[in-house]
Amino acid sequence: MNDPKPRLFMPALLGGAAAGLLSGIPFVNCCCCLWIIGGAALAAYLLWKDSPIVLSSGDGALVGAFAGILAAFIRALISIPFRPMEEVLTKKIMEYFADYMKQMPAQLSDLMNQGNEPVSLAVIFFGLLISAALCAALGALGGVIGIALCGKKTRPGAQSAPQQPGPLPPPPPQP
Amino acid sequence: MRIERKIAIIYWSTLLITSFWLGAIGAAPYLRSQASGVAPLIYSCFSTVCHQIPSRSFHLFGFPLAVCARCLGIYAGFLGGLVLYPFQRGFSSVRLPKPAFFWIVSAPIAIDAIANRLGFWTGSNVLRFATGFLWGSILPFYFLTGLGELALRAHKK
Repeated sequence: MNDPKPRLFMPALLGGAAAGLLSGIPFVNCCCCLWIIGGAALAAYLLWKDSPIVLSSGDGALVGAFAGILAAFIRALISIPFRPMEEVLTKKIMEYFADYMKQMPAQLSDLMNQGNEPVSLAVIFFGLLISAALCAALGALGGVIGIALCGKKTRPGAQSAPQQPGPLPPPPPQP
Repeated sequence: MRIERKIAIIYWSTLLITSFWLGAIGAAPYLRSQASGVAPLIYSCFSTVCHQIPSRSFHLFGFPLAVCARCLGIYAGFLGGLVLYPFQRGFSSVRLPKPAFFWIVSAPIAIDAIANRLGFWTGSNVLRFATGFLWGSILPFYFLTGLGELALRAHKK
């Protein structure tokens, strides 16, 4: 009898959406790669919760990788409307330092200048591919961790070998 | 192809990619010191997984590494775990570590990150690197197990 394959799409979508949103919103995306790993672990948990079959670490890796890829694309979309806001904020901070400081600290200057250089569409596309590949790897890791932390799930009604017949019930008492 | 060989291929590929990854992290400041046009591309690639705050990063050749100290610790720990993996697990089987082990090893980095975030203390980059290294060292035992199990499943088919 063949086990049904676990349905990966919805758990991966939900986990990837959570990871993509949190890693794309400014000031919230401070946890580096942990949002991707966490989102993938969430996807693995959702898969484990509703799965009628016993899941393996490979299933976690698959759903986590899908969640990571989705997170990369969702993050890229989410960050688009926030980019003008970040540029305005950066400009305000630079004006503040220009008013009150003769020389901006080199580290702050570097931080301000990061991401402000114009980039071509090819670089953006290449960056998205790299990001998706990286998020897939991180997601696979998160998915395996999620399955590992969920623990083993007993398959309902599963029988690995024919059961030995139990003892017969005692006969009913004679009237 | 025997399953041991499949898992060995996965292992060596992961080791190679991780080494290249760490090499890129260290090459970024050097290339930047040489005014290379490749440096911004490297920093941009790593910006997807790291905030790259200069004060939270180690510096090389006068410029910050491509990732912060905590991320560097995680990736360096991952490499360390990879080196340790064959001696702990070998290539003939795959099994996950116990959940309690994960929570114990994750506690230091979680406490340090949360305490920093809430302002209880401002740890040093060395502490961030150390807690990241500890956590990163167990990650290969999950990553390779997942990929190895997929290889095992494909082998059985």
